[in-house]
Amino acid sequence: MEQEKIDEIISRHRTASGRLLSILEEIQKAAGYLPKQSLVYLSKQIGVPLSQLYSLATFYSFFELQPVGRHIITVCQGTACHVKGAPRILSALEDLLGIKREETTPDRKFSLTTNDLEFTLNTARCFGACSMAPVIRVDGKVYGYNTPEKLPQILKRYGWREK
Amino acid sequence: MKISNLDALDEIKQQGLKKIFPGKPRIAVGLATCGIATGGDLVFEALKDSLEKRGLDVYLAKVGCIGYCKEEPLVNISFPGKPLLILHRVKERDANSIVEALTKGDVPEEKALCRIEEWDHLTSKLAYGSGFENVPRYSDIPYFRYQKKLVLRNCGLINPEDIEEYIGIGGYYPLFKALKSMSPEEIIEEVKASELRGRGGAGFPTGLKWSITRAANGSRKYVICNADEGDPGAYMNRNEMESDPHMLIEGMLIGAYAIGAQEGVIYVRAEYPKAIERLELALQQAEEYGLLGDGILGTNFSFHITLAKGAGAFVCGEETALISSVEGKPGRPRPRPPFPAEKGLWGMPTNINNVETWCNIPIIIAKGGNWFAQTGTDKNKGTKVFSLVGKVDNVGLVEVPLGTPLSQIVYEIGNGGTGGKKIKALQTGGPSGGCIPASLFDTPVDYEKLKEAGSIMGSGGIVVMDADTCMVDTAKFFIEFTSDESCGKCIPCKEGLQMVHETLEKITRGEGTQGDLEVIEDLCDTIQKTSLCALGQTAPNPVLTTIRYFRSEYEAHIRDHKCPAKQCRALITYRILEDKCTGCTLCARVCPVAAITGELRKPHSINPDLCTKCGSCKDVCKFDAVIVE
Amino acid sequence: MKNKIRLKINGKEYAANEGEYVLTVAAREGIDIPALCFNEAFEPYGACRLCLVEVLAGPYQPGLTTSCTLKVKEGLEVLTETEEIRKHRRVLLELYLAQAPESQFIKDLALKYDVTATRFRIKYDPADPLGNKCVLCGLCVRACNEALGIGAINYIGRGINTKVNTPFLEPSSECIGCNACVRVCPTGAIKFEDVQDQRIMISWSKTRVPLKQCMICGKYFAPEPLTLFSYQKMDPRLEEGLEDVCPDCRRKLFSRKEILASKGIEVRK
Repeated sequence: MEQEKIDEIISRHRTASGRLLSILEEIQKAAGYLPKQSLVYLSKQIGVPLSQLYSLATFYSFFELQPVGRHIITVCQGTACHVKGAPRILSALEDLLGIKREETTPDRKFSLTTNDLEFTLNTARCFGACSMAPVIRVDGKVYGYNTPEKLPQILKRYGWREK
Repeated sequence: MKISNLDALDEIKQQGLKKIFPGKPRIAVGLATCGIATGGDLVFEALKDSLEKRGLDVYLAKVGCIGYCKEEPLVNISFPGKPLLILHRVKERDANSIVEALTKGDVPEEKALCRIEEWDHLTSKLAYGSGFENVPRYSDIPYFRYQKKLVLRNCGLINPEDIEEYIGIGGYYPLFKALKSMSPEEIIEEVKASELRGRGGAGFPTGLKWSITRAANGSRKYVICNADEGDPGAYMNRNEMESDPHMLIEGMLIGAYAIGAQEGVIYVRAEYPKAIERLELALQQAEEYGLLGDGILGTNFSFHITLAKGAGAFVCGEETALISSVEGKPGRPRPRPPFPAEKGLWGMPTNINNVETWCNIPIIIAKGGNWFAQTGTDKNKGTKVFSLVGKVDNVGLVEVPLGTPLSQIVYEIGNGGTGGKKIKALQTGGPSGGCIPASLFDTPVDYEKLKEAGSIMGSGGIVVMDADTCMVDTAKFFIEFTSDESCGKCIPCKEGLQMVHETLEKITRGEGTQGDLEVIEDLCDTIQKTSLCALGQTAPNPVLTTIRYFRSEYEAHIRDHKCPAKQCRALITYRILEDKCTGCTLCARVCPVAAITGELRKPHSINPDLCTKCGSCKDVCKFDAVIVE
Repeated sequence: MKNKIRLKINGKEYAANEGEYVLTVAAREGIDIPALCFNEAFEPYGACRLCLVEVLAGPYQPGLTTSCTLKVKEGLEVLTETEEIRKHRRVLLELYLAQAPESQFIKDLALKYDVTATRFRIKYDPADPLGNKCVLCGLCVRACNEALGIGAINYIGRGINTKVNTPFLEPSSECIGCNACVRVCPTGAIKFEDVQDQRIMISWSKTRVPLKQCMICGKYFAPEPLTLFSYQKMDPRLEEGLEDVCPDCRRKLFSRKEILASKGIEVRK
C-alpha cells in the first residue's frame, strides 16, 4: 500500500479519541488486511511503537495480518463431514491450491492463502448441511457430496487453473 | 441553517410536521437492520416503482423499527385525517396491491396489523384521526398493550435520517429548555429526582454519577456513550441508534452541559454498520442545524462528538476497557478505583453511560424527574427495553415498566413458547446473567430481585428456552463465549474460565466424573470473587444458576451419561420405530454416513456405531418414525 | 509534608502516608501479602489477584479487593488472612502452577501457602521462549513502555493465547538491551546472553544488540544503544572523551586526575 495513501488516512483522523483504531480499520479496508510494511510506516509517521500496533492488531478480532484471497473456501469440520472424509477434502484442496499447512495461527483458526491472493482456505465448525457431507462453501455458496475428484470442477468456476 | 432562538426552532418544527402530515397519503417503510434483512429495502423500491408508474402523489419515507420483529417487514400508511395504519409481513409482491388500495383511500385488509389514532411522543402529542374501525387498535394488540414506550417513543414512526422529523415531534426542545433556562445543577437535580439507573446492566444511579463527575477535578471533561452492546441476543441499543439517533445525541448534549464536558465519544461496535451510518448522518445534521459543535443554539456552550468504532472485542463493553480502546490501546480493563468519574479518558473525569440511559434524558427534562419516577417500582424507576428472543412466539423488542413480572413479558407479550411448547427457563443478562426457571417467572424485572435469583438485569436480553434446551449445554455455550472473549489480563478469568469450559465439555461428551461439579463450583466461586472486571466476575453466573436450578440435568449427564433434553450428541441415540416406519428409504438416502439399512417397504434401522446424530433422518421422515433417546 | 493516616491491619493500628497503598504499608510493616505484578515504579496494575485483602470498615465498599490498588484512608480496616482469602489464594496458586510449570519461584510461592499440586491441566510448551515460567504479570511490558518509552515488546493476542514478545516475533529494532525487563521479572523467565560483542535477548526473538567496547581496556561493557539512551538523559553530561570508556577505566582516569591534582599537577587531556 502506497505511503501517500497512509499519509492521507492519517491526515483525516485528527481527534485523538478513537484515532488509532480508525486508522487501522481504514488501512485494512483499503488493503484487505494489515500489511506489515504499512504498520512499520505508520509507526514511524505517528510515533507509536510497532509493538503497540502489533498488539492492537492481534488483540482485536477484526484485524487480519494475513492477506485474504479473492475467494474464500471453507471446509466444514462437523462430525458428519469428518466421518465422510473432510480431512481428505482439505488435503486435496491444499494440493490443488499449492498451499502447505505448516502451523495453525495463534488463535487456533486455520486459514491459508495462495500466493497470487486468489484463494483463502479455512475451516469452520458446522454449516448444518450434514445430509450433504462432506461440505465445502465457496464465497457463501454451499457445495455438498464432495470427493477429491470433483474439486477441480468447482474451483474452475472461480478462475482456478491447473498448474 | 443554524438555530439560535425559539422562533427558528418552531419554524423547523413546522417543516418537520409537514413531512409527517404532508396533506396527502404517506407511506413509511420500516428500515432498521431487521427490516432490511427481511426484505424491507426491496419493498421500499417496489413501492417507489409502483408509485412512479402510476404517477401518484404520495410521500414515501423511511422509518425505523417499532420493535415487533416477528411481523416484519412493517409498513406505515397514513391518509390525511385518518389513523396511521401499520401493515405487517409486507413482501415485494404486495407493493402493487398496496398502491392499488391506496388510490381508493384504503389498504389491503389482510395486511393491516393495527391502527394508531393518536400517539404520545412525550415531547408532543400527535393526532392522526379516526376511521378504519375494522382494523384493531394498537392498544388491542397484546404485544403492544402491555408495553410502555418511553425510550422507544419515536422508533418506527419518524424518519431517523431526517432531523426535521425529530424536531417536528418536539425533539431538541428539551435541549433548548436545558441550555436557555436551566443551570447544570438544576439539570442534575432533575436526573436525581427521576431515580434513573444506568441501563447498561450495573444500574448505578445516573444523577449521582453525573454529580461526581461534575465535582471532579480536571482541566477537561468527557462524556462517553457505551454502544458496544456485545451480549449475544441483545439488540436494544442497535434499534435505539438506528431508529432514533437524535434522542441519543440530545441526551449527551444535555449531559455534557450539566457535567461540564467539552467532548463526547460514542463507542459503537463495528458489527453495527447501519447504526454507525445513521449516527454519522445524524451528527452531521445536528451540526448543520447548530445543535452540536461550537456555540450551540447561539449560546457559548460548545460540545463535539466523535464516533469511535470497536474492532471485535466483547470486553470493550467494560467501561475501563472501552476507555483504553478509545485511547488506542488493547481493551484491557483497569483496576477501579480510580473510577472514570475521577480519572477516565486521557486521565480526565469522564461520565460513561449506556445508549439507553442517555436516551431517557430528553424526556426527563421535558416531563420532569418526578413524572419519570411515577413509572416503575421502589428503587426501580422508569422502563427498560428488552430483546425477547429464543423459543418464544412473539420475538422482538419490548419496553415495559421496571417491576413487570417476567411471566407477563413471556406469556402475555411474548404469547408463550414457540409452537405452543412449554417454557422451561429464560436467561437474562446475556453471558453475565443467569438462567431463571419457569417456577420463578413471577420474579419482576427489578435490579435487586433479579440479582437475588442469581441473574442480573444486564443490558436487556431475554432468551427463552424450552424442554429441548439442555441446560448443561447452555452453560457450556456461555462459558465458551466468555472464555474466548476474555482479555487475558488476570488469571482467574483467563485460565479459570477455560478450565470450567473443558470440564463442561467433558460432561457433555459423557466423560463426566464424580467430583466434576465440585471443581466447577470451586473454580466459579474464585473466578467470581477475584476477577479484575465484570466479565470475569459474572461469567460464572450461567454455570452457577444452571447448577442451582437444574442440578438434576448435570447429574443425569455425569452419573447416568444421559442428556434429558436430548441435545448432547454423545449422550443420545437415534432410533427408528418399527411400527411407524413405512420403509420409504428416504432416511437411508440422506444419511451422510450410510448408517441406515433396510429394504424397500420394510422397517429400517440405524446402526448406532456409525450414526453421527446429525438429525438429517429425523428432519426428512414424514411418519415421525425417528425418535431420539 | 504528607499527612499521616491511621489504619488498622488485622486489628492492629499502623501509621501510613497519604497516597500510599495498603500493600506498600504491609510490606514495610512485615505483614505478609503475596503479590506478583506490583512494583513501586509503576501504577498499580491489578493483574495477578494475589494481594487480596478484605475491607471491614472505612470509606470503601466492604469485601475483597486488591491491596495494591487500595489507597490508605483514615479509619480503614482490613484483614489479610481470612478463610475466604486463603481459599481463593489456593485456587489462584493452583492456576499459576498450571500456567508456569517450570517456574521454581511459583513453586516456592505456592509451597509457602501449602499448595504443592494443581488439579488443573499443566500448560507445557517445549518451544516457549519464556521457558514456561511467564505468569503474565506485565512488569516487563510496563518497564519497556511506561517507564522507559522504548516499546520493544508488548502483549500479543488476547485471552488464553496472550503472550509477550516482539512484534511479528522478529528481532526488535527498538530494543536497547537495557535488561530492565530481565530485572523486573519475578520468575526469571526472560533469557539473555552476552556473547562477545553482542547481547542476545534470547527470549525476545533472539534480538541482537551490539555491545560497546571500551577504547582503553577493550572490554565490552554495555549495550551501545543503552549508552546512547542514557548519555542524552544525563545532566550534567558525561565529560568529553568518557563516552567510549568503560566504568572501570573511568574510575582509573578519575582517580589519576585527582591524585595528580592533589599534587598540584593539572592533567590536560
